[in-house]
Amino acid sequence: MPHLTLHGVVKTYGQTRALDGAALELRGGEIHALMGENGAGKSTLIRILAGLEVPDAGQITLNGAPVTLTSPATAEGLGLRFLHQELQIVPALSVAENMHLAHPYPSYGLGLVRWGALRASAKAALQRLGISHINPTSTMGDLGPGDQMLTRIAATLVDTKGPRPWAYVLDEPTAALTGAEAERLFAALHTLRAAGHAILYVSHRMDEVLRLSDRVTVLRDGRHVSTKGRDQVNRDQIIQDMTGRDFATLYPPASAPKDGAPLLQVRGLQAGILRDIAFSVNAGEVLGLAGLSGSGRNHLLRALMGAVPRQGQVLVKGVQLGHSPAEAWSAGLAYVPRERRAEGLMLLHPLADTVALPHMPALSTAGFVRRSWIARLVARLAKSVRLKAQSQAQVAAELSGGNQQKVLFARALAGPPVVLLLDEPTRGVDVGAKFDIYATIRGLTAQGVGVVMVSSDLPELIGLCDRIGILQAGRLTQMLPAAGLTEGALLALCYEKEVA
Amino acid sequence: MVRFLRHYGTLMGMAAIVLVFWALLPQTFMTARNWLNITQQVSMLTVVAVAMTVVMVVGDFDLSVGSMASLAGIVAAVLFTLGFSVPAAVAVALVVGLVGGVINGVLVSVIGILPFVATLATLTMYSGAAFILSGGKTIFGRDIPQSFGDFAKSGLSLGSLADKPVVLPWLTVLALALTGAVFVVLELSTYGRRLYAIGGNAEAARLAGVRVTWLRLTAYGFTGVGAAVAGLMYASRVASANPTQGEGLMLNAIAAVFLGMTLTRHGQPRVLASVLGVLVLGVMDNGLTQLQVDSYVREVLVGLIILLAVSISALGRKAIGRR
Repeated sequence: MPHLTLHGVVKTYGQTRALDGAALELRGGEIHALMGENGAGKSTLIRILAGLEVPDAGQITLNGAPVTLTSPATAEGLGLRFLHQELQIVPALSVAENMHLAHPYPSYGLGLVRWGALRASAKAALQRLGISHINPTSTMGDLGPGDQMLTRIAATLVDTKGPRPWAYVLDEPTAALTGAEAERLFAALHTLRAAGHAILYVSHRMDEVLRLSDRVTVLRDGRHVSTKGRDQVNRDQIIQDMTGRDFATLYPPASAPKDGAPLLQVRGLQAGILRDIAFSVNAGEVLGLAGLSGSGRNHLLRALMGAVPRQGQVLVKGVQLGHSPAEAWSAGLAYVPRERRAEGLMLLHPLADTVALPHMPALSTAGFVRRSWIARLVARLAKSVRLKAQSQAQVAAELSGGNQQKVLFARALAGPPVVLLLDEPTRGVDVGAKFDIYATIRGLTAQGVGVVMVSSDLPELIGLCDRIGILQAGRLTQMLPAAGLTEGALLALCYEKEVA
Repeated sequence: MVRFLRHYGTLMGMAAIVLVFWALLPQTFMTARNWLNITQQVSMLTVVAVAMTVVMVVGDFDLSVGSMASLAGIVAAVLFTLGFSVPAAVAVALVVGLVGGVINGVLVSVIGILPFVATLATLTMYSGAAFILSGGKTIFGRDIPQSFGDFAKSGLSLGSLADKPVVLPWLTVLALALTGAVFVVLELSTYGRRLYAIGGNAEAARLAGVRVTWLRLTAYGFTGVGAAVAGLMYASRVASANPTQGEGLMLNAIAAVFLGMTLTRHGQPRVLASVLGVLVLGVMDNGLTQLQVDSYVREVLVGLIILLAVSISALGRKAIGRR
């Protein structure tokens, strides 16, 4: 059986050490789960395996012989195949053609395709995976996401010249699949394993990992923590390996939430998959929202902003909120979106433009912009969020991720806000900027602002929030004080339904 | 070097063009009379380019401006033949421009058709309407009121030079006034800043409370009116209306805005930059005509200049991207 090992892998991006002694051993004939929190280094490790990143240090061996992975082509030459969350498919072409995108089509010569042979080749590859329900002549775009993924896997089994694949890396493969689709995928993975292939399975879904894997490797902070066999692992053990650190000193002290009428009240809110959401936020309080991806946590903030249709009551300071982002901003909601580049910044505009945009009514007279007001406002806010920029006219594209995020915080502070809605506020932000952002959030609550924060960084939620709500499949299933909560307990709550 | 060229390349190119014509045409080119003439020649294009800038700021564009200009001229002329007064006919033509623009806006912004497809379709529709209304003929002569044609022939007297009166043509004055108005709207008003925000990042603008759908629609309204104004100016200048007379305006206007975009730091459309783009095209045309260069050669040269400017700009952006 072939085997691939990575040892002592180090990779730094600027100041950030994404990998710092990561290790992995993958053998033919096993399903190997790779687990870790967001930022633990899973994606970086996969990118190295795929030849998309070259490690700064570390050894990689295949069957005992050292190898170098410098490009996607070398990774493919070593027999590695990668199935990402976003599948590369051509929806308008047939299944058979999609399966041959990387291979020459069987041909009569002069580019005339032997369609029969193409279909037969696709069919044979599907059968090798034990799949008979997908018709090679179907249009790819008509297939469900599960069948598309099976097709992509089967495509690697098409008879062709060149090195045969032996190892598959699947990154969150079931994220978009239904239960039945996932079962088919698992059956196909078992078929591959029985044929001596190796599968590296990256997933947040604990129940799948426990069911499927022969071994589990856990990374934390870019380091290898443990690799254990199926009989040695259980859910609590994995969670402890994934977390297990004390973050208490990172976070500024909480300012006691003030009593009195809540700033934000939500009752019976429905939007997208969200059902019967009800909660309230008091002055000076940070309410965290935890949940798996797809639980509706990001959608909830967008619904509050009026960026997506919603039903139900939302009251800010006791007044019913309108249904458009403009009304939300003017009522005192301020929003820091999740995708700062796509949803927040005007990348090629002066950063002051981004800050001023939602506050135009207050920064103009008779429809004309008051530039001096904007300049003064931005100068004040830049200082309070500790923005590092050359000038107010610098374009956002030239700023670091942390400083881009601070621009959006400055924008959110300009109102001034009544309630701050934060979606992954420290995502892709370096540690120094993280501190600044935490300090900004707590500085605001001390002044009586309320905060709703969605984060998949669990230590951050526990460290910064007063209360934490758990979202599961569009429902708010729990609301509990953050004090005394451990990461393990919080993660367990997010997973609860699935495991039970 | 590349960045230097990117920032100042177009300006240096313009200076070079002017110097070359000055050297080749020492008697006639660098005279007040010739420059006033140029400003009149480019006044229609200026209005269309400035109006085009409004939709391009939002990140859209409008292919129908040329046929809208023709249609507006025809509408006014047909109304003249029916005995309408000049103000009434002009007003109706402007309303037609507004409606045509709003139709474009609805197609692009509300229904969600790509600007290229939507305005390509309305281009042929407006052009067809102009042919239908005019019966495919040029409307001229006694049908056009004297005062309408006189507008383009007269202007603001600036005194005299060497015993000849110097007159700033009304067409130039009008183009300047509209440029100023659009400049104020785009650069100084909250409306304009919101249009720029949509062009910068439409989703971010929406989440920041900008009414993206409505504002995109209104931008097309501006452009439609601008095109109609240009069509009326043209009709006044030649004292006639022809269903094809706006034809060249669309491509030249887009070219002018693109030339202008090479002047701005991050490649954004700006009103004054578009006007400079118009001047480049106008000066080229004027100089080459005086040098009696064949008009087909002229077209090749103008195309080359546009490609050169935009290439330098694109290369500069690549160089910055690599940084």
